[in-house]
Amino acid sequence: MSAAHSQNLNVLLQEIEGIHLTHHNPRRLRADIAAEALPALLALLRGRASYVHLSAISCVDWIEENQFELVYHLWSYETSVLISAHIRIPRDPGIYLSVFDIYTPAAFFERDIHEMFGLYFEGSPDMSKFILTEWNGPPPMRKDFNSEKWVMETFSWQEYHPDWLKDLEKQGGGVVSTPESIRMKEH
Amino acid sequence: MSNTDLDKIEVNQKPVAKRSNPFANVFDELVSFCRSRSMFMLHYCTGCGAIELPPAMTSRFDMERLGIQPMVTPRQADILLITGYVSIKTLKRVILTYEQMGAPKYVIGICSCTVNGGMYWQSYATAKKLDEYVPVDLYIAGCMPRPEAVMEGLQQLMEKIKTDEANSWKQYYANYDYYLGNQQHLFGNNWQTPTDIIGEAKTYKLEGPNTLGEHTKILESVQRPLEPLEMKL
Repeated sequence: MSAAHSQNLNVLLQEIEGIHLTHHNPRRLRADIAAEALPALLALLRGRASYVHLSAISCVDWIEENQFELVYHLWSYETSVLISAHIRIPRDPGIYLSVFDIYTPAAFFERDIHEMFGLYFEGSPDMSKFILTEWNGPPPMRKDFNSEKWVMETFSWQEYHPDWLKDLEKQGGGVVSTPESIRMKEH
Repeated sequence: MSNTDLDKIEVNQKPVAKRSNPFANVFDELVSFCRSRSMFMLHYCTGCGAIELPPAMTSRFDMERLGIQPMVTPRQADILLITGYVSIKTLKRVILTYEQMGAPKYVIGICSCTVNGGMYWQSYATAKKLDEYVPVDLYIAGCMPRPEAVMEGLQQLMEKIKTDEANSWKQYYANYDYYLGNQQHLFGNNWQTPTDIIGEAKTYKLEGPNTLGEHTKILESVQRPLEPLEMKL
């Protein structure tokens, strides 16, 4: 089935302009497309192929290229094939279209990405805070958010210098790499 | 900004001076003994350390032979056992829970995460030192500590209670400004809890020189009176 099916799927996918397909294995297909073509691809996969399950949307912050990569993972229960549709959008202003009208579960993923990366999805039903309801800082999964630095500025650390360690230090021993030296490596 | 500039004044670390009446003394000792042998434990299972509690509670190690039983509500519990990482969101709930408990109350922090953030030391979402926000009687280090270590820790706590050394709950009243300052540092200046700690400290005469201060002033300026919840049928 799968050979014939993938043949059909390939024909179908060629309707999308500028699509670049990579077959990792018979059950994994990577599609790189332009951001404008993504809604058309998703509508095609949901409407004319059997890809009814949007299992996740992942986001990658390519800070050096000043881009966000969005990956839409689509699963077909009939053929057990996973298609990952990759798009790149500019990091600034970081706005993209919601695919909520094609796949309803997208609302959750988009809300999560909005919270973690600060990306805004136009047309998504709810862009309010999701998990980090009590977080007022910058979106923490962005590459330019330095979590370690934030931790260093916000928290203090427990001091621990027990007697047995002092005894060891008298004999010339002790801790080789202290927590302080590990923590402050970058700052 | 780091919190180290806040000074914590240690109070009541030493056992309370004995009363002059010998009968009262015997009575006090009896009370401490009984208190140490019948504790209800509220386990606030935030992280993976909770997995060590079922064997500690049930037939293998049997916590109940020490007189320690799990309890369902904070108001009836004596021990607050925090097992694992405390995210900032969780910490708010931990503080609310802690303040609801009736004194005397004891806090045990289990796992490395409560000591110093553990493996989440880099995480923006996890509080690092639990004893900056609520007073901790006892830490049980380990990732995760075995049930034997948990039992050992509980026995140490029992010993501390028997000798009147487990007084951290008094420190919360006496150093409320310090704890509140740390809480405000993390949650913002609008932070308030429904429990009136300052009022309690005054009522039970547990005020210290550090109960009131700059942070309690901030609290007073933003505090909204509690409103009854709306009831609908």
